[in-house]
Amino acid sequence: MERFKIETLKNENRMSTQELLQLIQAKIDEGYTDFEINGCGQHNIGGSSWARDRSKTLSFLVRNPGQRVGAMGMKGTRIIVEGSVPADTGWLNSGAEIIVKGDSGDTTAHCAASGEIYIGGRVGTRSGALMKHDPRFKIPEFWVLKNTGSYSFEFMGGGIAIVCGYECEEFDSVLGKGSCGGMVGGTIFVRGKVENLSHCVEILNLDEKDIEFLHSGLKRFLDKIGRSELFNKLTDFSEWHKIQTRAEAVKKRMPVAEFRQKEWISGGIFGDFITDDYAVYELAGTGDARCRIPQWDKKLCIGCDICVKNCPQNAIFSDEKVYHSEDNKCIGCGICAALCPRQAWKMVENNREITK
Amino acid sequence: MAAVKVNELHKEDLPWIIEYDESKCIQCGKCTAVCSFGAISPAVEMRKKSGNINEKNTYEKTLVIKQNVGFENHCVGCGMCANVCPNGAIKAVRNFDDRYAIRYRAEKGESLKRGGRSNLNTEGRTLDKIKIGRISQMTDPSLDPVRHTFEIKTPFGRVLSADKLGFEVDGNKIMQTKPLPPNRWIYPIIFGDMSIGAISSRMWEAIAIATAYLNEKMGIPIRMGTGEGGVPVSLLKSRYLKYMILQIASGHFGWNRIVETMPEMIEDPAGILIKIGQGAKPGDGGLLLANKVSKYVQEIRGVPKADLMSPPTHQGLYSIEESVQKMFLSMNAAFNFRVPVAIKVAASVTSVAVYNNLLRDPYNIVGGFFIDGFAGGTGAAHEISLNHTGHPITSKLRDCYLAAVHQGRQGEIPLFAGGGLGQTGSFAADAFKLICLGANGVFTGRLLLQIAGCCGNDTEKCNACSTGNCPAGLTSQRECLTKRLDIDKVAENLVNFIVATDMELKKLMGPVGCSTLPIGRSDALITVDKHIARRLDIQYSI
Repeated sequence: MERFKIETLKNENRMSTQELLQLIQAKIDEGYTDFEINGCGQHNIGGSSWARDRSKTLSFLVRNPGQRVGAMGMKGTRIIVEGSVPADTGWLNSGAEIIVKGDSGDTTAHCAASGEIYIGGRVGTRSGALMKHDPRFKIPEFWVLKNTGSYSFEFMGGGIAIVCGYECEEFDSVLGKGSCGGMVGGTIFVRGKVENLSHCVEILNLDEKDIEFLHSGLKRFLDKIGRSELFNKLTDFSEWHKIQTRAEAVKKRMPVAEFRQKEWISGGIFGDFITDDYAVYELAGTGDARCRIPQWDKKLCIGCDICVKNCPQNAIFSDEKVYHSEDNKCIGCGICAALCPRQAWKMVENNREITK
Repeated sequence: MAAVKVNELHKEDLPWIIEYDESKCIQCGKCTAVCSFGAISPAVEMRKKSGNINEKNTYEKTLVIKQNVGFENHCVGCGMCANVCPNGAIKAVRNFDDRYAIRYRAEKGESLKRGGRSNLNTEGRTLDKIKIGRISQMTDPSLDPVRHTFEIKTPFGRVLSADKLGFEVDGNKIMQTKPLPPNRWIYPIIFGDMSIGAISSRMWEAIAIATAYLNEKMGIPIRMGTGEGGVPVSLLKSRYLKYMILQIASGHFGWNRIVETMPEMIEDPAGILIKIGQGAKPGDGGLLLANKVSKYVQEIRGVPKADLMSPPTHQGLYSIEESVQKMFLSMNAAFNFRVPVAIKVAASVTSVAVYNNLLRDPYNIVGGFFIDGFAGGTGAAHEISLNHTGHPITSKLRDCYLAAVHQGRQGEIPLFAGGGLGQTGSFAADAFKLICLGANGVFTGRLLLQIAGCCGNDTEKCNACSTGNCPAGLTSQRECLTKRLDIDKVAENLVNFIVATDMELKKLMGPVGCSTLPIGRSDALITVDKHIARRLDIQYSI
């Protein structure tokens, strides 16, 4: 069947979005698959429709559409927009090919899960947010010739976005500021300067597979938007990077212990007053960690060896009737003092202060 | 066996009783070794050997763990013995029938002193009865903490109203005719005011390290109040001084070193805090008992080993006007009017009068008003003060804020609130609610000790900070105890806690739809308590 043309503005009478969408639907039911629409800001053109003969492609050539061009677009749908579009182009794209020759507004490709979106200009803020990839369907692609607005690719879970940074030399960042917040998956290829990304992601160099993908993809993209003359300019891959979710290991921050050792005041801030090696005593530790230290009185000792036999740490030994408690074994429990029949062992409080 | 008489201290008089299971004990000695209070000791007990009544009794000796009974060495329930026992053979159990407080006073003729917070908590917490009830649902979008940029900062320093900024128009130029008072944008949480001496060197340094780390590695511009126990010279000379709010209290401890070091400072301090009073012991001065006044504490404070009792007021200050003249002017002048100077008072019925007076300060040198509520903590205080004096923070903060609102002058002297924050687990919620009620920020000290491993609580567990025997090494100057504390772990935990709190603050700001601090946004709060609703002027909801 021939192309079905729709003029949505006749003698100052504008067709409403509902009228237009219902007209398209009626014509699809009649078997039309090719539409040319001169729009007047009507929304949702090209979305959630399919040719009754599923082997055929449903095509839309659109001028001057409203928001959400191709929203909920399906596999087998192709939409070409001559000129620019407002917000939400390709929202929830589930398989359509959407080509915009000019710029596209905010939240372009929002939640796109399959299909391809090709934008021949800039896209607005929050574009590519929540893109995802269901492995049973073709991976979504989102191509942008110039740059995106701020906070793009938030919560991105999958898919591929390509931001070519064409004519963006004046910007500090071709992804605006604060992009990629909450991003957990997917890949963004970007050409040119990028700043102020969320800490969720890292900027990586391309590998061979990436270059192969971009090389073939750029050709296809530029053909679609009618800018194939830019191919050479955009294929200097030294200008490209890719952005992916930061690997767990990199996300980790410097341990505070390392900060103390490397950046903090050397010797500690109390170094003028005290010497502290920052070693940590275990609870019920030996040596200086003891709260109480046993002292032996030769005059009182009768050499019964009860202390030697009962010391839980085996810290006490006698040498020529002189009894010793080994500091590196004794925990200061006081069992020797408790059991000594003559109180030859006494526990003395270890009140030593931390000092120089 | 020694004779037992009624008028002695007995085990049953003590607040905690040691429960000991001889059958599980392997006599490893760890429990008695770990007890920093000397509350338990190994001892020999006699056991009857024969059950035959026709024979003369015979006994055998056996080794047990025994609870000591004494005013200086009794169990405070810290639980360290249970922590180290390999077999669960020992633990401290609360004695609800104890007579210790009476016995102590009767025996010693002294008031009872301890650390911690108020242990009575008879009123319940107002903050827990307030909910954040104004949630953005279609009226405006909620913000998402992950993707939105939040500006969690608050001014510290005098803010001038537009007409006082001193701008004049000269032809096409705007001229600033007067210098503006110093003002810093800081994180709305301040690590509060625990002095060197009150806490151990490791604990104090851990807080300082965490402060520096949060600023330099996490981008969280938190500040630390030094307390008044001196500041190490190496810190004064370092670039980290810019994160420190130097405190001057009535003891003026350590200020000679601060003054002496001025020519060598490479940074200005973050601020000066004149401490008039504190929530835990309002109307009372600082208290540091002699057993904690170790050699370096003596040196840094310039005092001998003695009980250090700071006077209840700054000597020589008799009125608010005088305090503005003398303290604020001098402290401003000390750093050539580059550093904000704030004041900290215990919450009181008189707080609003003080705040109003400061608002009228004609020199614009009052840079902040810190109000410390009843439930604040301390290293040492008379228990009578801790449990019975002071004013809850919530209504007093609110009163001060509304007093300023009625004059159209809110925010001119930033309000900071503290005292018992985080007591029931959620510090971020407490902070957020106080901010909605009008606080520019909050401060906390006691919570930091709990983060660092304090085993005490607000129902009479441990609270032995004043004794110098802190089993966790937080408030002790004894080497064997201080070195139990892992400075890196403590600093890491403090950092983690603030990072978590930061996320939780965003989780509260987001639903309210605020990307900046909702200071005074009391419309965000509701309460199911009619009296709280009326008193705080917030929505009553049932």
